[in-house]
Amino acid sequence: MIKVTINGKEIELEKAVTVLEAAKSAGIKIPTLCWHQQLEKYGGCRLCLVEVEKMPRLQTACTLMVTDGMVVRTETEAIANVRRSVLEFLLINHPLDCPYCDKAGECELQDLVEKYGARAGRFTEEKRKVPESLEDPVLVRNMERCVVCTRCVRMCEGVQGAAALGVISRGGHSHIEPFSGGKFECEYCGNCVSVCPVGAIMSRLHRHSYRPWQLVSETETICPYCGVGCTLVAQVRDDVIKRVVPRIGTPVNNGLLCSRGRFGYEFVGSKERLTSPLIRKNGVLEESTWEEAISLVAKKLGEIKAKHGSDSIAGIASPRCTNEDNYVFQKFMRVTIGTNNIDSTARTGYAGAQAFIENIFGQGSTANLIPGLANSDVVLVAGGDPTAVNPILGLQIRACARRAGSILTIGHVKGLRHYSPVELRPALFRETLALEGIVSALRNKKGLPGSNQILEAKLKDINTTPQEAAGACGVAEKDFAVFVDRLSGAATPAIVIGKEIVQSSGGNYKLFLLAAINYLVNGRIYLLSERANEQGLLDMGCAPDLLPGYRPLAYAEFRKRYETAWKTAIPERPGLSIFGMIDAAKQGSLKAMYVMGENPVYNLPNSRDVEAALQKVDFLVVQDIFLTETAKLADVVLPALSWSEKSGTFTNMERRIQRVRKAVSREGMEDWRIIAEVARNMASKFHYTGAEEVFAEISKVSPLYRDLAYEEIEKGQSIYPYKGEPLRSTVEEISVDKGAGVVAASRFYLRLERPLFHSGTLSRKAAALVNIYSGALARLSTADAASLGVKDGDVVRVSTKIGSLELPVAVDGAVEQSVVMLTNNFEGKGAFCLAEYAVDPVTGAPVIDCNAVMIEKVER
Amino acid sequence: MEKILLKNIDNPNSADIAEYMKAGGYQSLPKALGMQPKEIIEEVKKAGLRGRGGAGFPVAMKWTFASADPKFPKYLLCNADEGEPGTFKDRPILEKNPHLLIEGMAISGFALSAEYGYIYLRGEYPAAKDILNKAIAQAYEKGFLGDNVAGKGFKFHLAVHQGAGAYICGEETALIESLEGDKGQPRIKPPFPVNVGAFAKPTVVNNVETLSNLPYLIGIGGEAYAKIGSPDCPGPKIYCVSGHVEKPGVYELPMGTNLRDIIYTHCGGIKGGKKLKAVIPGGISTPILPPDKIDCAMDFVNMPKHGSMLGSGAVIVMDESVCLVKVCYRALKFFEHESCGKCTPCREGTGWLRKVLGRIENGQGMEGDIDLLQSIAGNMLGKTFCPLGDGAASVVQNFIKHFRPEFEAHIKNKACSTG
Amino acid sequence: MFSETAKKELEEIRLKYPNARAALLPALYLAQREFGWLSPEAYEAVSGILGVPKAIARGVGTFYAMYKHKPMGRNIVQLCTNVSCMILGAERLVDFLKNKYGLEPGGTSPDGRFSLVIMECIGACGTAPAMLVNDDFFENLTEKYIEEILEKYK
Repeated sequence: MIKVTINGKEIELEKAVTVLEAAKSAGIKIPTLCWHQQLEKYGGCRLCLVEVEKMPRLQTACTLMVTDGMVVRTETEAIANVRRSVLEFLLINHPLDCPYCDKAGECELQDLVEKYGARAGRFTEEKRKVPESLEDPVLVRNMERCVVCTRCVRMCEGVQGAAALGVISRGGHSHIEPFSGGKFECEYCGNCVSVCPVGAIMSRLHRHSYRPWQLVSETETICPYCGVGCTLVAQVRDDVIKRVVPRIGTPVNNGLLCSRGRFGYEFVGSKERLTSPLIRKNGVLEESTWEEAISLVAKKLGEIKAKHGSDSIAGIASPRCTNEDNYVFQKFMRVTIGTNNIDSTARTGYAGAQAFIENIFGQGSTANLIPGLANSDVVLVAGGDPTAVNPILGLQIRACARRAGSILTIGHVKGLRHYSPVELRPALFRETLALEGIVSALRNKKGLPGSNQILEAKLKDINTTPQEAAGACGVAEKDFAVFVDRLSGAATPAIVIGKEIVQSSGGNYKLFLLAAINYLVNGRIYLLSERANEQGLLDMGCAPDLLPGYRPLAYAEFRKRYETAWKTAIPERPGLSIFGMIDAAKQGSLKAMYVMGENPVYNLPNSRDVEAALQKVDFLVVQDIFLTETAKLADVVLPALSWSEKSGTFTNMERRIQRVRKAVSREGMEDWRIIAEVARNMASKFHYTGAEEVFAEISKVSPLYRDLAYEEIEKGQSIYPYKGEPLRSTVEEISVDKGAGVVAASRFYLRLERPLFHSGTLSRKAAALVNIYSGALARLSTADAASLGVKDGDVVRVSTKIGSLELPVAVDGAVEQSVVMLTNNFEGKGAFCLAEYAVDPVTGAPVIDCNAVMIEKVER
Repeated sequence: MEKILLKNIDNPNSADIAEYMKAGGYQSLPKALGMQPKEIIEEVKKAGLRGRGGAGFPVAMKWTFASADPKFPKYLLCNADEGEPGTFKDRPILEKNPHLLIEGMAISGFALSAEYGYIYLRGEYPAAKDILNKAIAQAYEKGFLGDNVAGKGFKFHLAVHQGAGAYICGEETALIESLEGDKGQPRIKPPFPVNVGAFAKPTVVNNVETLSNLPYLIGIGGEAYAKIGSPDCPGPKIYCVSGHVEKPGVYELPMGTNLRDIIYTHCGGIKGGKKLKAVIPGGISTPILPPDKIDCAMDFVNMPKHGSMLGSGAVIVMDESVCLVKVCYRALKFFEHESCGKCTPCREGTGWLRKVLGRIENGQGMEGDIDLLQSIAGNMLGKTFCPLGDGAASVVQNFIKHFRPEFEAHIKNKACSTG
Repeated sequence: MFSETAKKELEEIRLKYPNARAALLPALYLAQREFGWLSPEAYEAVSGILGVPKAIARGVGTFYAMYKHKPMGRNIVQLCTNVSCMILGAERLVDFLKNKYGLEPGGTSPDGRFSLVIMECIGACGTAPAMLVNDDFFENLTEKYIEEILEKYK
């Protein structure tokens, strides 16, 4: 126990903290400016100077640790003078443009001056002048307001890890700017905005459109973008989201956001939002009423069901929709339509990969806490750039490196390049050899643990030598050994697996090898997830072979459970996967499709083929917030409410259930409510008054969610396995299909870029994100660009067997040789219109890494 | 007194290892390696050796802390960032007697069980860099550095790290930051470098002159060494004298030599027989003294009693022709230029002081400016992150304290009366 | 880009330190030699080799007075004007350089032959006024002596 006296008040502390924290715990406020709870101590602003007995100099409360018996005074006349003088120093070069500054009202400097004085300045010389910088799409800088507290720099370098900002020069000339001096060209996370105490760095999105005190409504909700599930606070004025900010203390993102989360909300207010139902009449989509649209959907589906049977209808659920939406949707398909033809784009990787891993390590084995990555001593990354796909998870990997952990990567991971990663960069189609080499080396080094016989039986015959593995990566054997040694020496390793692995040829075998590595080093696996509720929709049973709570359809006892709950028979036959649906549509056996909040015509590979398939379907219903590529083909389009306009829950990749809350109002219906209306029109008894009631049913029927309610989720009892029953913990047979192996035969292959700033449908309608990254590019390595004789901005024609696109070139040092990277984020320019696929026989994921590409320069 | 630190420097080849050895060099190192590290520290303690960089911290105490820390490897850094204006005492050692420093560092490294040493050399000494690198190469060749120093199984590697023009890097934590490839901005203490220093390992930072005392100290033993100079802080001291004296230059004298004697006896008095106006006794950061206050023993203990500090022993002598407002202004220009920018009072205060001094010097001073200067200086003093800001503030305060009428005259006459 | 010699030099320098970051200051000196000044390209080259983010490298580089952030003349005259030099006439020498060579503090002569940098103390106070031309010390300066010295630098 440490006893300290602050302002005569005795404080007892369990452990040594700073004087500032000790004072705070006793309700004594000490002013600060450079201090920020998310950042490393700095001690620069000198506002928190206090008197400490037996210390000759004043001490900064933010850096000084308390010791037993310490006597501190924070409110003497001398201290008041110090505060006033420090503020006077700060105001020497601070413009007094508060009436014009957006920060006024929540400016820390303004508040401090108001409270501690220095109102009359004695400085008569000229102040520093710096023009406002509007060079960036989402940030505005007014650096003459900067007080050089360096919070932004410490955030950018020490927490975000982007290191885009630096303090340039020194002394009175110190100023903060990005490398270019103008444009940031950074990750645009905006976390610098969060920590700037004055109006020096601010978001440009809402510039001069509000005063902080006018943001009367604040709603804590979950980000609509990726599977990390960051908490964000939507601040609203006049029913318009003015800005989105993080909150310190939230479980996943704790005061941080990425560019999508912070700046990607503008799609909500987009003028392109659908406003009323559309019905195709004489080949044209025309506005109609809800009554007409819903009764038409019910009537047509009823007719098709009667004529062609339930299995001639299929539904695609949405990883952007809430659990409640997805639950009601799958129930509608199973109960009202009577089919298990329900699937989603989770099939493109996450669903199959998770099922594969869980089959080996048990259900919930990928439900690992994201902040835990920072405490790992080794993080192995394979199959993508976590800092782009799941940015906040990526930050935890950077934090791991900062805490002296080792980062190992298979392939070059751009977002981790400053974190001294140990890289293995296998040549094209030679990843398997590298992974096998690691498995063999680890097994030979550490032996088999003996706890999983089935897995061990499968890995004992892998005998790829270090020479072969090193050869496949073009490195010396000793460098390969360094990689293996780091892994084998790890105490708390984590393995982060991205879609690039899952969607590659032999993907299931590579997953098996990664699982084997995980087994041999006793690690934990994280599966990157691109969508906010990819996990949740699977939990809800939006899969052709699974009922809610991951109960396999194949088992009668599980079917029975739901049949009782839903008071109807559930077909025993598993449904079609999303790819099966496309094939069935092409063949003509699928007559109707109901697509909720998904855009398969864009988000599935070989998208033109998907488009042709959907055109063949007799009746297509699309429920969305925008007239997407898929909606344009629909017979009926039903406008839904967006994430910010409804209530519900998302389940993130850690399987944490979190509350989505309504931040703004809009006329219309939630996805679940529209479905329930259709169901009611088809004589099903779907009666829910609100999302909470839907959730109540979920927790009643799904053993996984047993006894959960919103109230408990809000109290934090939302971490897997909740209070429910996980399903299996024993291993069944592991089926692995290595495939034939691919030999690189083409000069170039197509690879998918999964950029930080886009996620497909939503981000395309978020003006800020489009301003940051505004058009499709063909990314080429420096060497390939040189050999093709092209430079940045030149246009190339990128062609595969199934199509071609003309795109400007971006030369990118992070791109591997012999590949061209395209994104699937821009209208009419999606990589998927060039990508053929085969379905992985084990995971059901599309294999898209074998698309040979021709690249020609287009002369202007 | 025999020359210890500046021994042999008049020999044009003094930097060569052969000359150094001919003059008795590299004899203390084997002796030290035959002792226990603790015994060496004990000798240093008996010698009463204090750091010559300016603060006068007892060397043995610093070493004891670092040596007690269980972390390895430990680092020994030589502070050769001699940047305090007026100071040029280390340069002759670096350029003319580099092996004395290298031998001193090897001995100190052994005493600390440090495996790695760096000489943090200021960027403004390019010649010294080449000389040191050559001397280090010679020392490696002769086995006085390397994996097995003098065949006694002690590993000590030494390299030169060149600074790039930043006075603040003379502050030991800023120096460490700079060695690590960062801006030279001081660190929060604690932890102190002796526990968490360079590369987060226990680190001792000692000045060139301090470390160069080691060969002699070990040679004659701590007790004998302690008999040189002031009993409070014994040993030889290099005083460097510049400005208006007949014979400016470096003088190795016993610690505690009287300031007046240094100026009038050793340096031949004021140039051209002019009148003495003021003396800055220990580098520009130390309080200025008027002519009637220079009867003081130049050591760490006595100088504060006379209202100033020993600092680096850099004596700047100014005759009657000098305008002290201008000197003060120039000094503040220096502090403004060298402020690292980390803390508010120093970053903003040095510039403000310079601006006010500038207008007084330019004949645009206003009534109340002296009070303003004192107020700004007072608002800086004791509130800055490191002593740089204190230095700047105290320069202004002490110039005004001793020479206020000159400032007043500037403001009143809107011009300088000195010339 | 760094020349092969410079790359090799940097590799050797790197070995003197326990990590790559510590080699930043010497690497910036090398880059300055290679590029003439620390241009954005110079920072990018250093960042690429050492793995130090370029904005951070630039922050460090601009902190130190001896790294140059604009193109310089062929020879750099670094004249000390701090107190010991000042009281012995350094300011007169600044005027001299301006009048005789067209050299403004911080500027470059019209012929590109010299740049003038005003230095804080260069440790030659006993022989003030003093200057460095490139890496060479010159002390006890007078106008006439400066003329003689600069004659040797083309």
